[in-house]
Amino acid sequence: MVSVARIAALAVALAAGPALAGPDPALVGVSGPLTGQHAQYGAQWQKGFELALDEVNGAGGIGGRPLKLQFEDSQSDPRQSVAIARKFVADPAIVVELGDFSSAASMAASPVYQAAGLVQFGFTNSHPDFTKGGDFTWSNAPNQADEMPVLADYAVGALGFKRVAVLYINSDWGRTSKDLFAKAATERGAAVVAAEGYLADEKDFRSALVRVRDAAPDGIVLVSYYADGAQIARQLRSVGLKQPVVAAGSVYSPKFLELGGEAVEGVHTTTPFFPDDPRPVVQRFVKSYTAKYGVQPDAYSSRAYDALILIAEVLKQYGTERKAVRDGLANIQDVPSVVYGTVRFDPQTRRVDKPLSTRLVVKDGRFALWDGGKAAAN
Amino acid sequence: MGGLLSGAWIDHTVNGLIVGNIYALLAVGLALIFGVSHLINFAHGSVYMVGAYIGWACFRLLDAPLPVTLLAVAGGCALLGVAIERIGLRPLAGSARIAPLLATIGIGLVLDQLAQLAFTPDPRALPSPLPDWRIQIGGGTIGALDLLIAGVGVGSAALLYGFLRFTKLGWAVRATALDRDAAQQCGVDVNAVNRAVYAIASALGGVSGLLVGMYYNAIDPYMGFQAGLKGIVAQLIGGMGNVPGAIAGSLLLGLTESYGIALFGTSYRNLFAFVVMVLVLALRPNGLFSRARQTPPEPLTGTFVAPSRPVRIPGWLLWALGIAAAALPLAVQNAYVLQTLGNAWLYAVLALSLTLVAGTVGQISLGHAGLLAIGGYASALLALDAKLPVALAVPAAGVVTAVLGTLLVSPAFRLRGHYVSVATLGIGEIVALVILNWESVTRGPIGVVGIPPLSAFGTPLLSAPWVYWIPLAAVALVAQVQARLLGSHLGRTLRAIREDEVAARAYGVGLDRYKGLAFGVAGFAAGIAGALMAHVYSYINHETFHAPISVLALTMVILGGLGNVAGAILGAVALVGLPELFRAAAEYRMLIYGVTLLLLIRFRPQGLLGTV
Repeated sequence: MVSVARIAALAVALAAGPALAGPDPALVGVSGPLTGQHAQYGAQWQKGFELALDEVNGAGGIGGRPLKLQFEDSQSDPRQSVAIARKFVADPAIVVELGDFSSAASMAASPVYQAAGLVQFGFTNSHPDFTKGGDFTWSNAPNQADEMPVLADYAVGALGFKRVAVLYINSDWGRTSKDLFAKAATERGAAVVAAEGYLADEKDFRSALVRVRDAAPDGIVLVSYYADGAQIARQLRSVGLKQPVVAAGSVYSPKFLELGGEAVEGVHTTTPFFPDDPRPVVQRFVKSYTAKYGVQPDAYSSRAYDALILIAEVLKQYGTERKAVRDGLANIQDVPSVVYGTVRFDPQTRRVDKPLSTRLVVKDGRFALWDGGKAAAN
Repeated sequence: MGGLLSGAWIDHTVNGLIVGNIYALLAVGLALIFGVSHLINFAHGSVYMVGAYIGWACFRLLDAPLPVTLLAVAGGCALLGVAIERIGLRPLAGSARIAPLLATIGIGLVLDQLAQLAFTPDPRALPSPLPDWRIQIGGGTIGALDLLIAGVGVGSAALLYGFLRFTKLGWAVRATALDRDAAQQCGVDVNAVNRAVYAIASALGGVSGLLVGMYYNAIDPYMGFQAGLKGIVAQLIGGMGNVPGAIAGSLLLGLTESYGIALFGTSYRNLFAFVVMVLVLALRPNGLFSRARQTPPEPLTGTFVAPSRPVRIPGWLLWALGIAAAALPLAVQNAYVLQTLGNAWLYAVLALSLTLVAGTVGQISLGHAGLLAIGGYASALLALDAKLPVALAVPAAGVVTAVLGTLLVSPAFRLRGHYVSVATLGIGEIVALVILNWESVTRGPIGVVGIPPLSAFGTPLLSAPWVYWIPLAAVALVAQVQARLLGSHLGRTLRAIREDEVAARAYGVGLDRYKGLAFGVAGFAAGIAGALMAHVYSYINHETFHAPISVLALTMVILGGLGNVAGAILGAVALVGLPELFRAAAEYRMLIYGVTLLLLIRFRPQGLLGTV
């Protein structure tokens, strides 16, 4: 029991933290992976968050109070994300929570946030049931029901695929996306001739690609993250596939180009966020991001940035009461956003409608606007 | 099927060989280490990752040509291997064999964390400097790198074979592998042999990391775990410790996966790998390429678990601790502390389950996450689809897990020592993959949403004290049952099986029946733990109960002392609590955790409370 008592005492001491001088900061809790298998995504989040913090606090914070983050490492493990949720809801200084990364970790914590009345704001949580946790679960993650028809428009409508092969990561996100894409593609007159779901840590795709080849598709669609997407592109030609490739927006990252090398040349993708987008909000973000980190922002850092800017706006307009955050999310209008044109939530689904979408193709080692495409605000 | 017999058949064969080729690089090193020290080196995957990063540094920072880089990687990793042997393993030579196994897990964790801190968790490109010419075979092509990988694999195996056969140090290695004590008496410097073996195997591991990194043009700090797992499976198919067998086993594994994908689809790949492994273990436990059909008489019987004098905890103290634990929520209002301890109790139930099979019966299971998953899914689906009240679904899930778990593990009953560990590891993976692929029942990758919370008589018990008390009650119940069991004649029989299976059988103990009984009780406990977790989390998918949980559970059990009921509970509280305590250290906390673990193994290899 000594050890238990000591753990308890230390945990309390750690949770309390040092006292701060000046006005109390408005504290945002983040639950996400800093170590473990998904640590790379947590690291991207941090980059976006830091930039947003600089910006918000440089402009006077939240009504004179500094905006602060408390980033707790969950390893995207439900055991830890639930404990973190208990910690956040018990700490009156926390006004809203962001995250977690994986569905297993995020949705395990939802009942705790819901019961305590603290908004859980998931900005990468695309699981179709994520926001069904209750009226304190919100998300601005792109909704696949909007995103996949856009991808199908690109693949079937613009590029003219008639026989489509889909390779998708076999997770909740990949599977849902694949089903929605197949539906949208069929509605647009194409046939899905092969659908291969691969495991998240897969590195070798040659055998899967032989199956794809034997289905004789005239176009290939990837529902992948950037690392696996780049890997598939590299292995395509080793089995003699030369068909055009369209990848979901999640491959949009400088890492996709770095890991894929020449093999990703000619790959099409759509992205809600594109650095050459002339909108001032995008240009400001890209400029300060590249100045601070020396690389181009990717999908994850831009979403983290966007989420925190949005939350800051809600706190500014509606105050830092926990309940006010929920009501604010339901009412807030026209927040300029990097990922969306402007943000407005549907108070019923607690999600954002109609993300922007720009058609891109990899050309000479970088993402470029597709000649035949247009920057369509959908 | 017609398509299979045409061009695609050739392509799938070529693909299988290419992948098998890559597995072989790791399997050879693992086989060498196992051959000498009878140790599955879980740090080998991390050495492989370090090799890839040394190679990256040579290419990118020093602009070194490929031969220089290869030498640097081999040299650097050889040194790392020597360091692992010297710092992590040699001090444990006198203790139980389980301690070095755990030490390799700890070393792997520390290396992965260091790499993540030094190089960030982002994957990096590692472009191959080789010319990009390709040969057309069937419908596909193979490249220069494929041939180099094959050359390094076969070449190193041939060199090793020659070394072991024809050199003096090689004889010493084989003598040490056969009988360490006898070799020492004949004047073999056993430590020097071990050092040499670790250096060679690690150099090879590092070079494989570099080559595979170049092959995929991507390296990341966590690339070692999955690769190491495949290497272990491959060398097991070939026969543990058998170097040429490791290569054949790797190729066979690659082919199996490739044909499995060809016939059933991509998401069945690992399912095939592990099913083949379990089949090989069940039918030819000594590997496909060994003459003997029986497992070699591992010098493990009775020594796998260190004999030690357990710490005696007086009965009144146990009662006092129990009452204090039950009363804690009345004194401590902090929900975070209660939730963390509630998690600790859930893991304590799991650890109790594992300490029974691993400690008391000596079957070191590395697949307990599979039992947890069965329990979690059974209870969630019973509550959601069969509309069973949660209070009934949880015990029902325990029964389901007891039955299913025992059936699944039964092929491993005839195995001993490390073979049990690897077989159960495979069975755990099979459970996870079946959950992923059996969509009509488990909802596949989407997971089970909206699992009802723990409740009694229709009242949901969501608040932190209940999330603390209910698991605590489960701990008390399971611990009570287990203490009774161990005190009875059953406990003696189970321990007799652990000490010497042959002697126990000679006394008329039916091994399978008693092992089945132990796994049944353990399955029930693990099933309850998984079921409670499912209701606490409200959402589970195939990743909720992933393989690292098995390793964590084993660490808890060893930390507390194998077979020790109080020790299992203490181990769970320590290992759930420690990472939470180190929370302030953010990115560094898993590193601190790994180092703490290594220090504990180093100075208390028999566990905190001692083995029973």
